[in-house]
Amino acid sequence: MTEQSLPVIEIAPTSGWRALDLREIWQYRELLQILTWRDIKVRYRQTLLGVIWVVAQPLLTMIIFTLLFNRVAKISADHGLPYSLFVMAALVPWTFFSTGVTGSGNSLIGSAHLISKVYFPRMIIPASSVLAGLVDMAVTLGLVLAMYVWYAVPLSWSLLIVPLPIVVTAVLAFGFGLWFSALNVEYRDVRVVIPFLLQMWMYATPVVYPLKALPQKFHWIVFVNPVTGVVDAFRACLLGEPLPWARLAYSAAVGIVVMITGAFYFRRVERLFADVL
Amino acid sequence: MTKRAIEVEHLAKRYQIGGHRELQYKTIRDTLASLVRRGETRSVRETIWALDDVTFSINAGDAIGIIGRNGAGKSTLLKVLSRITEPTRGHARLHGRVGSLLEVGTGFHPELTGRENIFLNGAILGMGKAEIARKLDEIVAFSEIAQFLDTPVKRYSSGMYVRLAFAVAAHLDADILIVDEVLAVGDASFQRKCLKKMEDIGQHGRTVLFVSHNLASITRLCSRAILLEKGHVERDGAAHEVVRFYLHSDLGTTAAREWPDPQAAPGNEVARLRAIRVRTHDGEVTEKIDIRKAVQLELEWDVLQPGHVLVPNLHFHNEEGLVIFITSDLDATWRRRARDAGRYVSTVQIPGNFFAEGSISVGAAVSTMDPVFVHFYEPDAVAFEVIDVLAGDSARGDYGGPMPGVVRPLLDWTNEFTPAGK
Repeated sequence: MTEQSLPVIEIAPTSGWRALDLREIWQYRELLQILTWRDIKVRYRQTLLGVIWVVAQPLLTMIIFTLLFNRVAKISADHGLPYSLFVMAALVPWTFFSTGVTGSGNSLIGSAHLISKVYFPRMIIPASSVLAGLVDMAVTLGLVLAMYVWYAVPLSWSLLIVPLPIVVTAVLAFGFGLWFSALNVEYRDVRVVIPFLLQMWMYATPVVYPLKALPQKFHWIVFVNPVTGVVDAFRACLLGEPLPWARLAYSAAVGIVVMITGAFYFRRVERLFADVL
Repeated sequence: MTKRAIEVEHLAKRYQIGGHRELQYKTIRDTLASLVRRGETRSVRETIWALDDVTFSINAGDAIGIIGRNGAGKSTLLKVLSRITEPTRGHARLHGRVGSLLEVGTGFHPELTGRENIFLNGAILGMGKAEIARKLDEIVAFSEIAQFLDTPVKRYSSGMYVRLAFAVAAHLDADILIVDEVLAVGDASFQRKCLKKMEDIGQHGRTVLFVSHNLASITRLCSRAILLEKGHVERDGAAHEVVRFYLHSDLGTTAAREWPDPQAAPGNEVARLRAIRVRTHDGEVTEKIDIRKAVQLELEWDVLQPGHVLVPNLHFHNEEGLVIFITSDLDATWRRRARDAGRYVSTVQIPGNFFAEGSISVGAAVSTMDPVFVHFYEPDAVAFEVIDVLAGDSARGDYGGPMPGVVRPLLDWTNEFTPAGK
């Protein structure tokens, strides 16, 4: 043990904005990995119902949406696709986004016992919530592919680009998740607001309707919404259409801005977590 | 040459207290509402300095015990040094890798197996995956649960759970270990094993900061002890000296309260409380009661208006706020008899080997029973701490682990023995 080799930890009050300290987060990457793995493992091990649920939830949502919006409200898909497939293809990124935001938004409160007992970069908690959603997303994606086979819709090579919109969705989910999780610690009614907000948000995203079914004057809402880009890009990948690059780039840009500002806000209120939780 | 491992300078931590935790967090609704009513100032919440100008330093390789009463700031100090919460003022510097064990089995998940929890808990404590994998065999051997390694921990007995959790913690490779009370778990033989492991840690040049209510283990493990009182360092020195000082001190006692001003005293026009004291069986006012010894509670009160039947009574609560029992004055001299005006000193003796260990708070009242009328009730009038020195002659016997129960009577047991084969 030489004197120089020992790390020195300084403890002092901080105020205002703080640096992100990415190096430290990198040092704790194994914790991120293991917390994500824990969430996945627990969800899939707990009950058989848990596994069924992962499949049933998007399927039932799709069936209800198809009945409601297609049969009753007479919204039809573009590109001559079966409506159920059209909805399902959008539900994959949307559900990943919304469960990611909900999960990470509530994650700090759910991990209060950890936060009050151990030190680690707190950002790992909302991050692992988003990452754990990847498995559910993969399952839903599998369902979509099964539906392709069922409807005999030809698969396209552009399917290989699918990881791109997924990454952008993850960035968006993590960015908003950071904001909500930190706000949630400070303001306890955020918890109530999140599900409501996400429900509104889904209708502001072309999930259940194609863009062209929307009156022109509402288009700006859909285009301001950063989730539109990933949903469109995701559908385009599946259908082998040219990707809406501009919209996807816009989504990515918004995602990065929200993530960075969220991270700074998170760091700012992080010091309160252990005292308030 | 001695190297500093921990340097703490003027460390202070302020908490807001609102009585209930709910008051600590805001809602968007409240914040918006307060924006609307701008003129009104929000009521200023009470604050408490859990740590107040704490300064000390610890040399590398030393084992230091932190002692003090509940609320003296021990846990807050550990939380600040573990970086769980930030100090309000002052600073601290730690040289080396820090491992903090404020709880055994932090993050254990009941659905996961023992093996999975070793990796999870290890990672939470700051160990790398490779490091855990390397130490896995050692951890499993230490925990003595090898055959249940692949069973979900929800099926473990609490003893197995604790053994596994401690085994992971004990293999944490840190230069500085911050340990809070974790030894107060497990059965006696496993505890001894843990103490042994901690002694080994101390001898390997590691610095150990150890908080415990178990004064015996502090003197055994630590060369030096720091006594915290109301957030500041009251005493810092050789462990046995500090422990002895603590046991004989009467720091800011909660064992006696007096109301010299009759106007400010609890009561009405009939009766008023003037003083209440906790005494040992030989009359010394103290807030630390040996579990084996009797304790006396003394109520000094004035009767201002003659002609009432008045019954002093005491309500004993434990740390969880549970009423342990209520006792009222049945002294035959004043039973069903109107009291004359004047000063009364009513004393009750509670036998030794009755209370369980922990803090006891006492509410004091004087009532008329028929019909019931309470002239005053002073909740939390005094408090005292029941301590078991683990000498082996209390109800614990030789058991050193956690012992639930509201009371802890020492009872007579008998054995009838028939030799085998008869």
